Amino acid sequence: MERDQKRLQELSEALQKFQDDLQSAIDARQRLESQQAENKAVQKEFNGLDEDADIYRLVGPVLLKQDKSEAKSTVDGRLDFIGKEITRTETRIKDIQQSSEKSRMEMMQLQQKMQLAQGPG
Amino acid sequence: MMLSRRVLSKEEETETTDNEVTKEDQEKINEFSRLHSRSKVIEEELEGKKKEKEDLEEVTTELELADEDELVRYRIGDTFTHLPLPTAQKLLEESGTEVDSEVSRLEDEISSMKEQMDALKAHLYARFGRGINLEG
Repeated sequence: MERDQKRLQELSEALQKFQDDLQSAIDARQRLESQQAENKAVQKEFNGLDEDADIYRLVGPVLLKQDKSEAKSTVDGRLDFIGKEITRTETRIKDIQQSSEKSRMEMMQLQQKMQLAQGPG
Repeated sequence: MMLSRRVLSKEEETETTDNEVTKEDQEKINEFSRLHSRSKVIEEELEGKKKEKEDLEEVTTELELADEDELVRYRIGDTFTHLPLPTAQKLLEESGTEVDSEVSRLEDEISSMKEQMDALKAHLYARFGRGINLEG
């Protein structure tokens, strides 16, 4: 009985941790998606530029002219990285959800068992 | 010959004492909490200023290689204006000095708050030992 109590406590704490981890993974994905959108917009702008147009980057208060192909490849590289990070984060989210569900099931079963053990009345 | 009696360490003594929280204690706890929150805010501000300084240094270096005849696109408030290189460089220098003094001011403030917090910690730990947690 006491061992069950202890296990219940462990599961409860594990579920709480899964919740926290899930929330932080979801927040991370949201941030990544927002970065992705921003960089996609920049990439689109770049692709629509005239041959003779210049690209500038704001550093402090100054717009510094950038090498065009460098700027384009930087954005492309970023999008590539962000895409991979999003995939990795989504995998992590799935894993957490699965582990959490497993613990939740075990907890429910344990609670049922403990209730039955108490008997009617 | 060794004394058979042992004096309780300060820690053990306060651990086993059930100390009541006096008004003075509560005020000190509140003050600690206030300082702690504020120091986090100031630290963030400091981080921001340090980044600003980094950007200014980066752009100053870049402009050293710039063409003397080309105008610099400089942001002032919400507007952009074309400035001659020497003018832009002068403005950057002035901004740099300003940011340096702000960094200095913020660092002094954090330092002073840490001192105050350390003093409060010493008092509160002496009063409550393990009964209070002032870390993090």
